[in-house]
Amino acid sequence: MMALLLAAGLALVALLPGWFGGFPPGRLLGLAASHAGLALAGVVPAALLGLALGVLVTRPSGRALRPAADALAAAAQAVPPVVAVALAVPAFGFGWGPTILALLLYGIMPVLRATVAALEAVPPEARLAALALGYTPAGALREVELPLAWPLVLDGLRVALVLAVATAAVGALAGAATLGTPIVLGLQNQNQLLVLQGAAATAALAFAAEGLLLALAGYGAGRGRRSSASPASSDGTAQSRKP
Amino acid sequence: MIAFENVSVSFDATEALSCVNLQVAEGVLCALVGPSGSGKSTLMKLVNRLVEPSAGRVLVRGADVAGQDPARLRRSIGYVMQSTGLFPHRTVAANIGTVPRLLGWDSSRIATRVADLLELVQLDPDLAQRLPGALSGGQAQRVGLARALAADPDILLMDEPFGAVDPITRRDLRAELRRIHAGTGKTILLVTHDPEEALELASQVVVLRDGAVVADGAPAALVAEDAPEFARTLLGGGQPGLRRLSLLPAEVARDACPAPADAPALPEGATLADALSRMAETGRDVLALGKGSLRLEAVLARGR
Ligand SMILES: Nc1ncnc2c1ncn2[C@@H]1O[C@H](COP(=O)(O)OP(=O)(O)OP(=O)(O)O)[C@@H](O)[C@H]1O
Ligand SMILES: [Mg+2]
Repeated sequence: MMALLLAAGLALVALLPGWFGGFPPGRLLGLAASHAGLALAGVVPAALLGLALGVLVTRPSGRALRPAADALAAAAQAVPPVVAVALAVPAFGFGWGPTILALLLYGIMPVLRATVAALEAVPPEARLAALALGYTPAGALREVELPLAWPLVLDGLRVALVLAVATAAVGALAGAATLGTPIVLGLQNQNQLLVLQGAAATAALAFAAEGLLLALAGYGAGRGRRSSASPASSDGTAQSRKP
Repeated sequence: MIAFENVSVSFDATEALSCVNLQVAEGVLCALVGPSGSGKSTLMKLVNRLVEPSAGRVLVRGADVAGQDPARLRRSIGYVMQSTGLFPHRTVAANIGTVPRLLGWDSSRIATRVADLLELVQLDPDLAQRLPGALSGGQAQRVGLARALAADPDILLMDEPFGAVDPITRRDLRAELRRIHAGTGKTILLVTHDPEEALELASQVVVLRDGAVVADGAPAALVAEDAPEFARTLLGGGQPGLRRLSLLPAEVARDACPAPADAPALPEGATLADALSRMAETGRDVLALGKGSLRLEAVLARGR
């Protein structure tokens, strides 16, 4: 659990200066909580949207939408987060609104990409077998395609989560209370210690989020090891089975 | 039981099947043979609507499949894929129980059925909890066969079911299929590249070439001298005369009058090819067969 150890170390770096005239630890923890909440508020809808879009464009009926979805996701990520936040302020006002929008745009791409790649990597014969045995298309997706695609989708979710935690700091510019707040304060007052605290705390939160998701995934893999371990091994045997 | 009426199938530019007419009666094991790309798999997939005809109709159990719900139709027809198509994330037992689960059987009934099927295809019950990735090729094909048989469908589609296994396992699986067919009277469509397999297992053999049926008949008829040349070459293995003799039981040429006392004996169930071989190795032109006898001229007369 490398990520969790790193997170603990960085948290120490972020909190310690608080007792020597830096940003007070109590307030920093409060900001961390609201930072985490903000990141989740952005990444959860992004993940759901990315997953739904990924499933949609890999269905026979949605294949035509594939180029449009790709372009949309790429465009969403090409806009720097600062710009996204700044552009959204006039529409949403200051605070959480513009930040969540930026996080949403940012989170869709990795999840969409991973979902599409994972569903396309499902062995075609498994999909064909599902239909041939009498699954409905929805049943085949739920019972065969998604379980086989899950490990790769999870990777995309992890990337989106870490990105969201790191990006949420930008929300401070729009007046949202996040771990970006001490950074902005530090920059305004030429106080490097505050910048260091904010940066270290953000990184600590990002590592912690990654560690927690990995732990969850590890738990999931322990219960359903079959889904992550077997596509590779069945590929291997299928190849060795060819005459 | 299964009928194709003027069926054509086109994929984009290519015409995979053109105007196919074919009937397979109930309880028949029908082998589909033909070169790669001749349309065997396509013909088979028409039966459970994995492929739709672009013209003509396909009747299953007397009803046009076009009007039937694909999922329900497919649950009622067993399908064995060439590449086994086992679900890599599901155990052997869960793979075998797929269709019963879809049909809403309760779990104890499924468990009993899975145990019975493992026995039927002669798989060790200990394999039930394994994942397909940990099976040998022959074991995986047996699981595929068991999965297709799970809900006891009256129709079985088998697309090169024993393609990727060694000759010995192949012979075992073939014997098992023959046993299952004899025991259950299912209607079976079997795609195979092995002429011997087709001739030995099937009571009806259909030869496809470039999307058209070029021959359709009993195995012995398709290697006879008056059979279409393409079928004879494909199925005859260079010695269609011997192939034909190997398909006919020695009884058909038996003479009622007893053989000389010193004539070599032919065992019950031997074929005319066995008789010819026995004559060749003993240098005699008459054999004892049960209470009667078998003469060389009679064997040769059946060869044509
Ligand atoms: N889904 C598809 N899309 C386009 N063309 C197809 C499709 N399925 C089959 N074909 C074409 O239809 C023709 C017949 O294919 P089919 O799979 O029925 O042949 P086959 O006799 O089963 O061959 P093999 O012995 O190699 O399995 C081939 O030319 C093939 O390329
Ligand atoms: Mg084929």
